[in-house]
Amino acid sequence: MATLQLSALEKRYPNGFTALHGIDLAVEDGELVVIVGPSGCGKSTLLRTLAGLESITAGELAINARRVNDLEPAERDIAMVFQNYALYPHMSVYDNMAYGLKNRGVAKADIRRRVNATAELLDLGALLDRRPRQLSGGQRQRVAMGRAIVREPQVFLFDEPLSNLDAKLRVQMRLEIRRLQKRLGVTAVYVTHDQTEAMTLADRLVVMNAGRVEQCGTPMALYDRPATRFVAGFIGSPAMNFLPVTVRGERLELPDGGELDLATGLDDGAELTLGVRPEHLTTLPDGAAMPASAVALDTRVELIEPLGADTLAYTRLAGLDEPVVARLDGEHAVAEGQTLRLVLTGERLHLFDAEGQRLAERRCAVDVVS
Amino acid sequence: MTHFQRYRVTPWLLMAPQLIIVGVFFFWPSLQAVEQAFYVEDAFGLSRQFAGLANFAAVLHEPDYYQALGTTVVFSLSVALGAMAIALLLAVQADRVIKGANAYKTLLIWPYAVAPAVAGVLWMFLFDPTLGLVSAGLESLGIDWNHNLDGDQALLLVILASVWKQMSYNFVFFLAGLQTIPRSLLEAAAIDGAGPWRRFWTVTFPLLSPTSFFLLVMNGVYACFETFATIDTVTGGGPAGATTTLVYKVYEDGFIGQDLGSSAAQSVLLMILVGLLTLIQFRFVERRVQY
Ligand SMILES: Nc1ncnc2c1ncn2[C@@H]1O[C@H](COP(=O)(O)OP(=O)(O)OP(=O)(O)O)[C@@H](O)[C@H]1O
Ligand SMILES: [Mg+2]
Repeated sequence: MATLQLSALEKRYPNGFTALHGIDLAVEDGELVVIVGPSGCGKSTLLRTLAGLESITAGELAINARRVNDLEPAERDIAMVFQNYALYPHMSVYDNMAYGLKNRGVAKADIRRRVNATAELLDLGALLDRRPRQLSGGQRQRVAMGRAIVREPQVFLFDEPLSNLDAKLRVQMRLEIRRLQKRLGVTAVYVTHDQTEAMTLADRLVVMNAGRVEQCGTPMALYDRPATRFVAGFIGSPAMNFLPVTVRGERLELPDGGELDLATGLDDGAELTLGVRPEHLTTLPDGAAMPASAVALDTRVELIEPLGADTLAYTRLAGLDEPVVARLDGEHAVAEGQTLRLVLTGERLHLFDAEGQRLAERRCAVDVVS
Repeated sequence: MTHFQRYRVTPWLLMAPQLIIVGVFFFWPSLQAVEQAFYVEDAFGLSRQFAGLANFAAVLHEPDYYQALGTTVVFSLSVALGAMAIALLLAVQADRVIKGANAYKTLLIWPYAVAPAVAGVLWMFLFDPTLGLVSAGLESLGIDWNHNLDGDQALLLVILASVWKQMSYNFVFFLAGLQTIPRSLLEAAAIDGAGPWRRFWTVTFPLLSPTSFFLLVMNGVYACFETFATIDTVTGGGPAGATTTLVYKVYEDGFIGQDLGSSAAQSVLLMILVGLLTLIQFRFVERRVQY
């Protein structure tokens, strides 16, 4: 049971590259925090500094309010599940799990009891005598989990633990990890590339970009009110559509010349970015009238991706280079090449200024999420 | 020529140059040695007589032979284990350094490029009782070094020279072996609470065991056969046979003593011995080093 406190944590590699620029983060007891971000943004670096595999060059890391900056990995009482599992190839499954306990001088009988209990929990009982190379990918993953669990550490660290599994197994293991983490009530930090994994697992989601925390909050808060354009584009799949707009009094001028009723209080001519998620673009049923304050986007469908329940329509809007993506009902009959009238209502829109900061946040404190 | 025939003939044609060389320089003399071992020949090689196993019996009744066997065991074990232990230590260190790693590696690999005889001469000069730098240094420490008189010192010297020569070879393999061990394994072990020493013995060393096994076989063969030139230049098998290994004795009896029958019998015995050792290593050790 542990809390984790990162204050202005900085990591500069010996070659002078600064991978983490002052990370502030508090992880509560029993919480599962997921870290997402594009490749190279420093997720693994962050996890490795937490584990003690990389030194901390500035700032402070505390576990249970105790400063651990200078402690060896072994002394921090953490466990880490590696992307490639890092199982000891020359040891049986049993020995892989028992190794950490042996090193800590746990009594033999205790080791046996704990390894067996963990094997039971993870359904590994029949595999204890096997070597890692005799296991399937999913089984290896479970052994790696078992090796972490059996030690009953204060904190779990996961570095993309599911990325080597096939899609189906990934879903299964994702649920398994969630179930185990809640059951054991252990604090965990989980790094992933995968949107779904991040959204479904996280108690709290941290979006990183270029060695900084962009935003931190519950998955739904990040989805509903992304603080920056970067977060808006990163969370959600397919990604949010961005339209460059210009302030015209109480209205916003769209790239195709249409105008949307939306008072921003900004000067005439200010350039903004309007974000709208594909799932929040609707079509107008035949004959229905346009709702008040809505604006129509007349687009041409370039490509459709039927996903079963939904259909994704990649459409072209006059005056915009990027396609506008709409998530339509799977029943909706659209054909490539046809024109499609999409409706942009005044709701569930996101406005970002030239620096990519969310506009609403500047004006009303209630909106701030972090 | 049918397709099938061509398919059978071409590979042999391509291998022919190599096969001829191996045949002429290895199989033919080996067979001759085996044949020779069953004959007694006069000193001038003018006549010879079939002797059955008499040559072998004579060799096995010779006290000198057992002395050479004992010397070989001590010498080979010391050389193989010494060269491997030092190489492993250096490889672990070299694997760790970041700055100037290539310079270290190159320097450590150099001795391998030195011909055994040249290496022998080098060590002989370093330890020369009257001129040598090292022996002078030892003198000032109160150690009287004279490997021309002291058999143990002579053996130590040829062991040192042979270890130095073989170390580079082992170093290259150990370093390559170390570099194939994923870093994440050692990191996992560190998180699992193993200190550097324990990490080495429970993770690194077991994972290197295929390399170690291979090197054990190669070093055994090296110590038995390829140290001839080193021994010949440094001590010439002396003093009083203290550095006469089995191989050196084959040479001494055959080429200096002109007792070709005995020499041939010894080389046959040596072949059998090394064959057996290698077989044992493969049967009993190899099985344990696979993971
Ligand atoms: N040992 C190192 N020395 C110097 N720079 C490094 C080192 N390790 C990583 N970096 C750099 O630090 C940055 C962050 O790397 P990191 O591995 O943390 O990224 P990541 O977010 O985990 O990426 P991915 O999603 O691809 O795994 C990268 O730009 C990388 O090039
Ligand atoms: Mg990474």
